[in-house]
Amino acid sequence: MNDIVADLKARAQPWRRGNSYEDFTKGQTFRHHWGRTITASDNVLFATLTLHYNPLYTNADYARSRGFSDLVVCPLLLFNTVFGLSVEDLSEIGGPFLGVDQLTYQRPVIVGETVYANSEVIDRRETESRPGYGIVTWRTQGVTADGDVLLVYRRANLVRKRKPVSG
Amino acid sequence: MDFMKGRTSPDNYFEDFEIGQVIAHARGKTVTEMDNVLLTNLVMNTADGHFNEHRMNRQNSIAGFNTRIVYGGISFSIVIGLAAQDTGEHVLEERGMDKIRLRAPVHHGDTLYSFTEVLDKSDSDVADAGIIRFKHYGVNQDDKLVYDGERTVLMQRRPK
Repeated sequence: MNDIVADLKARAQPWRRGNSYEDFTKGQTFRHHWGRTITASDNVLFATLTLHYNPLYTNADYARSRGFSDLVVCPLLLFNTVFGLSVEDLSEIGGPFLGVDQLTYQRPVIVGETVYANSEVIDRRETESRPGYGIVTWRTQGVTADGDVLLVYRRANLVRKRKPVSG
Repeated sequence: MDFMKGRTSPDNYFEDFEIGQVIAHARGKTVTEMDNVLLTNLVMNTADGHFNEHRMNRQNSIAGFNTRIVYGGISFSIVIGLAAQDTGEHVLEERGMDKIRLRAPVHHGDTLYSFTEVLDKSDSDVADAGIIRFKHYGVNQDDKLVYDGERTVLMQRRPK
């Protein structure tokens, strides 16, 4: 059976995912994969595991009494979902994420809504402190299928440069 | 809203916060493998440094980076969550966040505590609510700062 594994490893071509520093140019835009319908189950799981005790996210009676049609999506779940959908394109081949700035929520989101993530490269620069990496800054949006903007933020990340070809 | 009477705290409405006030929140949370891997996968963050222990072990570079790192979005969501009963129970709308900085990596088994400073308060265009800007801090079991960042909310005023 080990022969099968050795043979696979010898014959398989890696299917690579993610982008390196050199792949980004200022002004470049991304439509990130998939989109995500945020369900009541996602929302209650996230709000409870992060101890986010605002009953708008976990008590539908209360959410309705405040004028919403159903549970409100915990805004940190909305942010993390949009961020998560953007990772393969922006930062999977990366280093640590350096920060998020100027995040605004445009309106409350209700469970059952579907969010898509888009980004634009707004800055790309070398850094002397970390050879082998550059710093890329993006503006990311979470939007509905109709183009309704749900949140906007700026994010900066160390992004690894391509390894020089060995040999 | 009589059904909610007495079911939320009496002392965390807009009027109860003062600029400059600093709060140490009551509880901490030990971040487990369950929290990190479940929530990282739930939000479809594809970076396997958060859920592939084998690769991180093999990479074996800098101490602290040779094991899975908790996805930063989860770490700071827990920090804000630990502050949420005190500073979010009567929030009508989260308006935004700014200057989010992850100061140190968080690993499975680390414990997070949360502190909050009230930066600013102002009236809003909503009759029964005002705007508050908080700064939240996340501190680990070794008193090391792991997170700080601002959060602006629309906070309900005390019902008449």
